[in-house]
Amino acid sequence: MHCAAISMCLLLLAGNISCAHAEEGLNLSGEDRFGLLPRHANTRGPLAAALALQPSLAKPPQDSAQLALELRGRWQQWVADVWMASERPRGGPSRTEAHVNELNFSGELAGWQWSTGKKIVSWDVGYAYRPNDVVQQEARRSLLDNTPEGKPLLQLERFGAEDALSLVLVHPQRLGNDGLEGARFDREPALAARAYQRFGALDAYGFARWGRHTGASLGMALAWVAGDEWELHASLRALQRHDGWQAAPGSAGTPLAANPWQVQTQGRASQVLLGLNWTGAQRQGLLFEAWHDGSAPSAGQWRDWTARNSALIGQGRQPGLPASLQSAVAGNLAWQTSPMAGPGLQRDNLFLRLSWQPEPWQLTLDGLYQPADHGRIWTAGLQWQGDRWRLNASWRVQAGPARSVLAQLPTQRSGVLAATRAF
Amino acid sequence: MKHSLTMLALIGLLTWHASPQAAEAIDVPALLKTADRYRGGSDNLQVDTLITQIGQDGLAEKERRYTVFAQAQHKSLVLMKSPAEAGQKVLMLGDDFWLLMPGSQRPMRITPSQKLLGDASTGDIATLSWSEDYTGALVGVERCASEGGGPERACLHLSLQATRKGVSYQRIELWLGQARHEPLKADLYVQSEKLAKQARFIFDHPGAPTQVTEMLLQDQLSQHKLTRVKYLARAPRQVPESWLNPMFLARNPSLD
Repeated sequence: MHCAAISMCLLLLAGNISCAHAEEGLNLSGEDRFGLLPRHANTRGPLAAALALQPSLAKPPQDSAQLALELRGRWQQWVADVWMASERPRGGPSRTEAHVNELNFSGELAGWQWSTGKKIVSWDVGYAYRPNDVVQQEARRSLLDNTPEGKPLLQLERFGAEDALSLVLVHPQRLGNDGLEGARFDREPALAARAYQRFGALDAYGFARWGRHTGASLGMALAWVAGDEWELHASLRALQRHDGWQAAPGSAGTPLAANPWQVQTQGRASQVLLGLNWTGAQRQGLLFEAWHDGSAPSAGQWRDWTARNSALIGQGRQPGLPASLQSAVAGNLAWQTSPMAGPGLQRDNLFLRLSWQPEPWQLTLDGLYQPADHGRIWTAGLQWQGDRWRLNASWRVQAGPARSVLAQLPTQRSGVLAATRAF
Repeated sequence: MKHSLTMLALIGLLTWHASPQAAEAIDVPALLKTADRYRGGSDNLQVDTLITQIGQDGLAEKERRYTVFAQAQHKSLVLMKSPAEAGQKVLMLGDDFWLLMPGSQRPMRITPSQKLLGDASTGDIATLSWSEDYTGALVGVERCASEGGGPERACLHLSLQATRKGVSYQRIELWLGQARHEPLKADLYVQSEKLAKQARFIFDHPGAPTQVTEMLLQDQLSQHKLTRVKYLARAPRQVPESWLNPMFLARNPSLD
């Protein structure tokens, strides 16, 4: 309650600041939001099985209420974006968190634009998946649009009339740290480059990245407006090495003393995206994307994962199991959720979004389908946009056969009811 | 009475003959340039607009502010200024369009149909250059109602056809005042030949117009709403070339 009161004061303060400094070269804007976030825990999957054995092991996903504020400021060559939120789960204490999305300083030198600090740098042409988003690697397909948290970086860019070149050194502060702890996935220090050339209705991009432990990757992307209603896009990336979840060998079915799933540096992989956008005269739209993510766990890894789940669940159901062993089995089942936290679950994915925008409303229905195990995610969304207020309602269901990965995620159904005020 | 009828018939006959003759003599490109000057007057412009959408009950439903940098060679940059859309930009380079959202900071290629979904296309209409983007022919001399309910007056009816596919409206039926060639009204047709919007123009001095101050757009496609485009400020301004590069705009630079 105390945190909520502080947050409310900040929201009111933000509104006043925006009025007070508008004429002093300081440009402030932002939005505050109140949201209800219903969550329904899954009754299937390794976490549900773990909690059935030992309910105190972890908290299942819970409903919560959230009050959030995002404040953006620009003063001369400085840009800042700060986010803070207070979230109160049902029956639990409030939790307040804050982070700086952006805080950077920019300038120009000898025809090059430079930036240093924490900055959002989003690349690539896809919507549901972007293999060449090699700096930001922002979360996608979220229930509610949130500004991503930027990365510490140094950026140099040069712009022509129809071309551009960008060079980015991301996480330079970690360059002197030899350990891999805290430097996996999008936290790896890396040098990335993007070249852009426009050919009329076609945007062409080339990408290169060199990560300190994942080595080199090369990519390219195209976005082409093929007609009044059609846009086609494609993206391709080849990786020398990549980070991914891997189970320790010999972890087939016995409880272990440590989590067998660890993020490790793995070998070559490729990522491919093909997509299209269609927009009709009656404000209806269709987005279709198909992609292969060679850095996601393989079908064989998921088969082993399923076999280990079954073996652990079988052991946990043995009558007369000692409490210590039951606790060990529960812990091992909870560890089985580790690979579900990776950036991609299955390698092959199909995504379809249907939308209709009769002003001021926007309705969306989208589905993600994973052919390997027929897992599905369905999401329905409704948005109303006023002059200052925006109302959102979304509902997401993970579905599919009982053994599919998506059907075993810790959260089976989730939603958002949110009111956002821009200032 | 008989005399008056004879006179009317004579005037009618003269008018009927005069229209085709006028059509032959009139220089349509010059007419369009003159008509453009009432809304702009320069190749490179900064135009600040306030767009108000009015519902069927006459109440304002939505207000949006835009700054449009309309540059030579069919290049435009629309900056959204209202709190609900702050930071969004639409870049239009000839027939090619990009949308930039503040939360994503990457330029997204959009189709002409996607451009029409947003209010930015209304800003686009506000700076549309008829003389550069359309060829036209005189349909004839007609009678047009005056703004504010004054007496009808003679006007020139032009039929315009887009010279490039990127413009929002492929055909425009345009009516200009016969004496000063100021735009009076326009019917805007989309690619499918459907009538999308009907425009009327409001001037600073109705008796001796020098500038369009407002444009009223009646939607004819879906919700039949009325949109009022108010020109808040207009000034010649050439923006740096880099501002018209979508990758530069993704830097979220200050564009004041």
